[in-house]
Parts: sequence; structure tokens; C-alpha cells
Amino acid sequence: MGQTDERIAEMVVEVLEDDFELERERIVPEAHLFDDLELDSLDIVDLVVAMQVKFGVQIREDERIVEVRTVADLQRFILLLKRESEAT
Amino acid sequence: MRRVVISGVGAISGLGNGVATLVDGIAAGRSAVRRMEGWEAYKGLRSLVGAPARLENEKDIPRKARRSMGRMGIFAVQASEQALTAAGIERAELGSTRVGCIIGSTMPGAEALCETFEIMLPTKDLSLLTAMKFFQCVSHTASMNVASYLGIKGCVMATSAACASAAQAIGTGYDLIRLGRQDVVLCGGAEELHPTVTASFDILFATSTSFNAAPDRTPRPFDRERDGLVCGEGCGIVVLEEYERAVRRGAPIYAELIGYDTAGSGEHVSQSNTDGIEGCMRAALAQAGLQPDDVDYVNAHGTATRDGDAAECAAIARVFGDRVPVSSLKGHMGHTLGASGALELIVCLAMMERGRVFATRNLENVADDCAGVQHVRESAARELRTIVKNCFAFGGINAVLVCRRL
Repeated sequence: MGQTDERIAEMVVEVLEDDFELERERIVPEAHLFDDLELDSLDIVDLVVAMQVKFGVQIREDERIVEVRTVADLQRFILLLKRESEAT
Repeated sequence: MRRVVISGVGAISGLGNGVATLVDGIAAGRSAVRRMEGWEAYKGLRSLVGAPARLENEKDIPRKARRSMGRMGIFAVQASEQALTAAGIERAELGSTRVGCIIGSTMPGAEALCETFEIMLPTKDLSLLTAMKFFQCVSHTASMNVASYLGIKGCVMATSAACASAAQAIGTGYDLIRLGRQDVVLCGGAEELHPTVTASFDILFATSTSFNAAPDRTPRPFDRERDGLVCGEGCGIVVLEEYERAVRRGAPIYAELIGYDTAGSGEHVSQSNTDGIEGCMRAALAQAGLQPDDVDYVNAHGTATRDGDAAECAAIARVFGDRVPVSSLKGHMGHTLGASGALELIVCLAMMERGRVFATRNLENVADDCAGVQHVRESAARELRTIVKNCFAFGGINAVLVCRRL
């Protein structure tokens, strides 16, 4: 069985908290990755790798990543990728 | 030519963080050499000893700056901050294009380099490679990270001449200030201890292999039982400053740098060359306008390899005879490779300040092929006004610095 949606959303928060040393209270769904969490283009490369490792999905070649702006966007994107990978 | 002084020092070594810890450790005769846990897993690695430094307080460096730093980068930033504090130079002064940073190393960031290979090569797949690995393992990782973190906008450079890297960094900074191109340059060397680094020397039969069960008895520079070098790690940074500037602002002046030479031996890539070493020492003395008799102490490269120590002693004997005290600091902190020229120079400055020569640790019986020079067997009070620091590297590269206490 796959992880629950809530658990996956929580795991996304954990990556941001652990790998990017962000305070948990800042990682709210509407937080913008660049403007609010102050990540930059180099961090996004590493965020993609961290998500690939954590969730066993492929993101680097997926053009939909450019649409991800906020924490909620990221959580939705990971959920979508998980569903797609489970469907195949 | 303008005059150049050393106005700040910073050190991270196996003997601890900070210059005082390093110098006190050596004064007390301590050894930083340890048996390295887990190294026995490497088939064919015979040297299982090293002189590791401790990573401490690295989270004081904000994540966004720290993310591009491996161990070496963190050591370099911390030693640079110590050196600037000692020099009394504020961060705000570093934005001038007249302030530079030159830090060398033997290897690039070894840990990050190995991790890069481990991620990429088994599957020939880049998808798990992070953006930061490059910055952590690139050849100029130490100087680049220090310059970015401190906001240095003058000359930023990395010397790469194995164990002569730090001496070349200091010598290059010296030349830039003498020639009027920079006013202040943070100079030194950094290195990371890693099994791949020790392995590269082990394969060449240059490492100590007989003291895995008694680590503090090795390396043994100039000793009859010496059997090779022991790799260490850390970073040494000196602040070089134009003399008038340092005097004007009332900076501490540890010593004046009065001579430097670097030269290739032009022959074998690994065999030490007495003629080359001798020539480099003579050229550095000539540049300083000194005769051999003007020198009070020679801090040897003295890594405890069989051939290297003998070749260096022969060269020192040719230049200085047995009149000048000679010691090596490798017995205390191992061979910190690209950092050694700076870390050991910093200890020499402390010797000048304290009026003491520190003995070569683990030198119990001078080997016949290392005779003919005045080995320092016991630390002793001695006024030191002028010192020579030797560094010699694989690739047949020699570098010698000469300092005078003002």
C-alpha cells in the first residue's frame, strides 16, 4: 500500500525542514519557495534530488516542475507523481 | 618593493581549533595521530593512521553559505575568521578590490569528490547528483568559499602544488603585495583527511605502516625507525598585509615575510631532489638578502619518508651545516599536505614570539642518512629572529619562505 496523502504532504515538509534547515512554522502551504522560504536556483536542484530520493520518483526531466511555486504546489506535484508511478 | 608583514593567524588542526590550542599542543608534545576507524575495510590500505581535525560549530555558518562547503571549506572559513579577528580587520574592509584570498590544497574536497563518483558512476546516472557537490569538491573550493562568504573582491586564487600549496599561496600573496597589486591577502592552505588521500600515498609506499597499533609513535621525522608519512587535515591562514598599512592601524605584527622562492626540481615526479631543495633555499635567502649564518632556525618539511628526509637533511647541511637548529612538526600533527606550509609557519611565528624551539616529536635516534644537521631533540629556550620554512611537494615542486621578527 502507498503512503497516505497526509503522510506524503508531511514528508515534503520534513525534507524542507531537514535538508534546508527551515523552521517548521515557516513551511506553510502557501509559502512561496523563493520569496518566502528564500530558496534559490541551486537549492531547487537539490530539492529535486531530495524529493527523488525520498519518494522514489523522477522529477529532473519533468517539465511540470517549473509550475511549482509554493509548498502546496510541491505537495500536490509529489502526490501526482506518486499516483502516476503507482498507476503504471 | 613594498614590505609585507603577517598581521593575523588562524588554524584548525588535529591538535584542536585555534592557534593557541595548536601551539600549546605542540609545546606540550602532544600527538594528533589516531588509528582511523573503518579504514581496515580498504583492501591493500596498509596505513591505518591519520591526524583528523574536529568539525565544530559549523552551523554558525548560515546554511546558504555552508551548503557549498565540504570539510575543507568549513575549516578554511573558520581559520580565516580567526585570522581576521587576530588581525583586527573588520568584515566591512574586505569588500575592497585591494583585499585578496589565496588558499591552496593538495586534493580538492575529497569527501564530496568521492560522493560524486559513488552517486554517478555505478549506474552512470546523474539524476541523484546535487548542485552542491561541484562547489564542495572543485579544486578552488577553499578559496572560493572563503571569498564568497567573507565578501572578498580582490584577487581570489587557489594554488595547487600538493604539499607546497600553502607555501605557494603565501608566496604569491607576498608577491602581490610587494608589487603593489594588493594591500591585504588572506593566504594559506586547507586539506581533508580521507582514505582516498592516504591511499594515494600508500600505493607509492610513502605512508607509515608499522605503527597502526601505536599511532602516537608515528610519523618519525629523521628517525632511524621512520617508515613514512601520516596524513592529517585542517587549515592554516595568515593575513599578509602591506607593512605601512599594518603599522598605521596598529595591527599586531607577527613577523615580516622577507624571502620566498618556489622552483621545480625538473626531474622525477616523486623522488626528492637535494639539488633542487638546496637551490630553492639559497634562492629564498638571496631574495631576503641573507646569508645562511643570519638564520636562527629551519622548520623542515620533514615528513618522515625514507628518501625525503634524507634528501632534505643533505640539502640543509649543504646550506647551513650543523649550525642552525632544525625540526619538523609532522610528528605532532601529521602531514596536513596542502595546509602544512601555513599551519607550520604559524607555529614558527609562535616559536619566535615565545623564544622557544620545538623539538621533532618521535625523533629518538637520528638516522645516519639524516645526520649532519642540528636536530632539535628537546624543546628549548632560544631567541629566534629569522626563520626558514621549507615545503617540498610531489611533482618536484619546492617552496621556501623566510620570516623575520620585527
